[in-house]
Amino acid sequence: MKITLLTKTLKKGLAVVEKIAGRVSTLPILNNVLIEVSPNFIKLSTTDLELGAQWWGLCKTEKDGKLTIPAKFFSQLVNSLNDEKIDIEEKNKTIFIESKNYKTQIKGFSTDDFPIIPSFSKDAFIEVNSKKLKDGLSDVIDFTSLSQVRPEISGVYFSFGSEELKLVTTDSFRLAEKTITFSEKKEEYKNLFKKEINFILPQKTAKELISILGDTVKNTRIYLSESQVMFETLLQETDHPEVNLVSRLIEGEYPTYQEIIPKESQTKITINKDEFINQLKIASLFGGKINEIKIKANAETKELEILSQDPDLGESKSNIAAKIEGDKADVSFNWRFVLDGLAKIKSSEVFFGLHDNKGPAILKPIGDASYLYVVMPINPD
Amino acid sequence: MTYQELWQTVLAQIQLNISPANFATWFASTKIASQEEGVIIVSVPNSFAKEWLEQKYNKEILKILRALDASIKEISYQIDFPAAKIREPIKQPAPQELPVEQLGFAELEIDKETNLNPKYGFQNFIVGPFNELAHAAAEAIIKEPGKIYNPLFIYGGVGLGKTHLLQAIGNELSKKNPPYKVKYVPSDKLISAIVNAIRNNSIEELKANLRKVDVLIVDDVQFFAGKEKTQEEFFHTFNDLYQRGKQIILSSDRPPKAIPAITERLKSRFEGGMVADVSLPDYETRLAILKQKTMEKNAEVPAKVLEYIAANIQKNVREIESALNRLLIFQKINNKVPSFEEAKKLLRNIIISPSKFTNPTLILQAISEFYDLEDKNLFYSSRKKEFVKPRQLAMYLLRKELSFSFPAIGRKFGGKDHTTVMHACHLIDREIQENEKFCQEVDSILQKIYTLEA
Repeated sequence: MKITLLTKTLKKGLAVVEKIAGRVSTLPILNNVLIEVSPNFIKLSTTDLELGAQWWGLCKTEKDGKLTIPAKFFSQLVNSLNDEKIDIEEKNKTIFIESKNYKTQIKGFSTDDFPIIPSFSKDAFIEVNSKKLKDGLSDVIDFTSLSQVRPEISGVYFSFGSEELKLVTTDSFRLAEKTITFSEKKEEYKNLFKKEINFILPQKTAKELISILGDTVKNTRIYLSESQVMFETLLQETDHPEVNLVSRLIEGEYPTYQEIIPKESQTKITINKDEFINQLKIASLFGGKINEIKIKANAETKELEILSQDPDLGESKSNIAAKIEGDKADVSFNWRFVLDGLAKIKSSEVFFGLHDNKGPAILKPIGDASYLYVVMPINPD
Repeated sequence: MTYQELWQTVLAQIQLNISPANFATWFASTKIASQEEGVIIVSVPNSFAKEWLEQKYNKEILKILRALDASIKEISYQIDFPAAKIREPIKQPAPQELPVEQLGFAELEIDKETNLNPKYGFQNFIVGPFNELAHAAAEAIIKEPGKIYNPLFIYGGVGLGKTHLLQAIGNELSKKNPPYKVKYVPSDKLISAIVNAIRNNSIEELKANLRKVDVLIVDDVQFFAGKEKTQEEFFHTFNDLYQRGKQIILSSDRPPKAIPAITERLKSRFEGGMVADVSLPDYETRLAILKQKTMEKNAEVPAKVLEYIAANIQKNVREIESALNRLLIFQKINNKVPSFEEAKKLLRNIIISPSKFTNPTLILQAISEFYDLEDKNLFYSSRKKEFVKPRQLAMYLLRKELSFSFPAIGRKFGGKDHTTVMHACHLIDREIQENEKFCQEVDSILQKIYTLEA
C-alpha cells in the first residue's frame, strides 16, 4: 500500500470510524481499524459486532493493499499532525507515515481476523434528506428506554409512509413523536421499496448516525436486509459512498404507541416557552430528591402556577400569565421530564395540554404540527 | 445423533484450531436449528457471525459434519435472536428511597400477545377467607387447565381483586412450559371489537382469532347485558372452546343469575363450571394486605396506624391502598413517619366519607325531584304505579342509608305496618339485583342525595 492524501480527509474519516472501535474487549482485533486501499480510494472500517462503520476518502494511490492497526492510537497520532498532506506506506505489516516535518511507523496486524461487515443488496433503498433526518433524530433521541427489559422501546422507531417519516421514542414515562414531511420538488424523499417500511433502530446507532450526518448535503440512503440496516452517505465530490453505517435492528414489534397520545385535553394551556422554562428551572431548585413540582392551571385567573417544596430548603411559587381553556388542573410532574420536552421545542409559544392528575399531558410547539411530546405525571395519591 | 450432539462435535473440533477469543466471539449461541434434505441450518446470533462462519469456517464445519453424516451436503446460516425471544422476566422495580410514583404509560406494560399485565401475579395476591374459594379454584386450573373447573366464574364487588386473580392465572399459565396461549379481554373491548368486526365484515377473522387460544379470560361480563349480538358471538366461541377442552375464565360484579338481560343459554353456560365469589376481606386480611403493601413500597408505618386503617376501611382494597399512599406522601413531604394522631387527621376524608351524612328530608327531596313528584305525593296512599315505586324506594333508602327501623319508616309514611315496609324493601332489593336500568336510577338518586347535601 502506498498513498498520498490530505491530512484533513484522513482526520475526518477517523472521526467517523474511531468511536466504534474498542468497545468490545473480548476480541482484540476489534480495537483496530481496517485500512484498505484501492485506486483513488482509501477505506477505513471498524466494528463492535453490532455496529459497523465504513468510510471512503479520495487519495492518490500508488499501490493497493490492506492492513489493520490500533484505531485509537492511529487517530491520536493523525489528529496531532498539522501538515497539509501525508504519505502512507505499508511494508512488512508496518505502516510508515510521513509528512513534511514528520516521520513515524506503526506496527500493524494481518487483516485475516478482521470481521466481515455484512453487505447489502443495493436494488432497493429509501432516500431521505440528511439534514431533516438528523434534526428529526435529535428531537427524539433522548427519550428511548435505557433498560433492556423491554428491548422494543430501547431504540428509535422509524416508520416510512408514502410521503413522510415518523420517528418515535418512549421510555414508558414519556414519548416523543417527530413527523418529517418531505418536499417532493426538492427530491427529499424516495422509497424504492414501494411499501411502508418500519423498523426499530438501536439508540447507539441513532447517536452515531446523528454525528455522521453532520452537515451532509446529499441525501442519505437506507438499505435493509433481514435484521440489518445500512445508512449510506455519498461523497460531496462524486457519487461514491462516503460512509456506510451498518447496524443490527431491534427485533420485536413496536408498541401501538398511537393509543398513548391523548386526542383531547381537559385543560388547554398556551404559554410563552422561555418564560415557562425559566419558571420551571426556579421551581426545580426546590424539587427535592424526587424532582417533583406541581402545576396548577385555572382558566378564570388565566394564570399558570408552579409550586415546589423541599422540606429542608423551603418552597417556591410562581405565576405565569397564560391562555387557559377548560377544567381547572392540579398536576404533579417530574420537572426534568417537562424541561426535557420543552428543550426540543423551537417555537416561542407552546401548547401544554393536561388530562387529569393521573393522565398523560402533552407538549406541542405552536404553529408546527410535526412534533409532540407526551409525559406522564407523578401519582398524586 | 441429535442436533445438539452433532453441533457439540463440531464445536469440540473447531476450538482446537482457533483462538479462544475468536471461538467465543463467533461460536457463542450458535446451534443447529434444523436439517432438510442434506442442508443443515445453523442458527447464529447476528449477521456478523453469519458472514464470518459462511466465509471463514464453512469448509471446516462441513468437513466435520460430513465425517459424521455423509448425507449432509450443505450448510445454511440463519440469524436468530436468542436474547430478544426469551423475554426476561420483568424485574420488580428497585426499592426506591421514597415512595414516589412516576406514572408510566399503562399501554406499554401490557403484553401484546396475551393482553396481560405482568405485574399481576400470585406472589402479591393475598388469600383470606373472603377469597380462598376463588383462589383454590385458580390453583386447580393452573395445574390442569380446561379439565376441572370450566368455566371458572368469579364474581364480587369493585376493588376486591377479581382482575388481579384473573390476570395472575393468565400470567401463570403463559409462563408454563410449554406455554399456554392465553388471551385476556376486558368485556368492553370485546364488545367494541365485535361491533367493529361487524362493520368491517371481519367477524370470521375475529372469531378465528379468539378460537386459537388455550385459555380465554373475559373480565366484567356483566357488560354483555343487553348486547345481543355480542352474546351470540360469544356463545358460539364459548361452545367451541369448551368442547375442545380449552379453559374459559370469566368475572363479573354479580353472580350469573343476577346479570340482567343475558340469554338463558349463556347464563346456564356461565354457571356450568365453578362459580366462586370474592367477598369483603375481613379485618385480619385487610391488615395483612396493608402490611404487604407497606413492604412493597418499602415504607415504615406504625402498626397502630395500620390497624386503624384496617378497622375503618372495610369495603374496598383500592381505598385501603389510597389511604396508605396518603400517609406515604405525608412522609415524603415532611420527612417523618406520621404519628397516630396525624394519620387520623390525614385519613379523615377517606374514612368518614361525606356519604355518611344525610337525612330523611334530603332523601325524600332527591327522590321526588328525580321522579318529578311533589314531596307530599310520596306520602299518598295511592296505588298508582308512578307513586308506588318512588314510595317503596324512599322506604328502602331510609332503611339502607339511615338504618331507620321498619316500624319507624312505617310511621313516617302515614302509619303503615312494618311488614309493608319490609315487603317494599325486599321488592326494591330484588329489582336492583335484576334490573340494570333501575339499578342505575338508584345510583343516580344516591348521587343526587349526596350532592344536594353538598
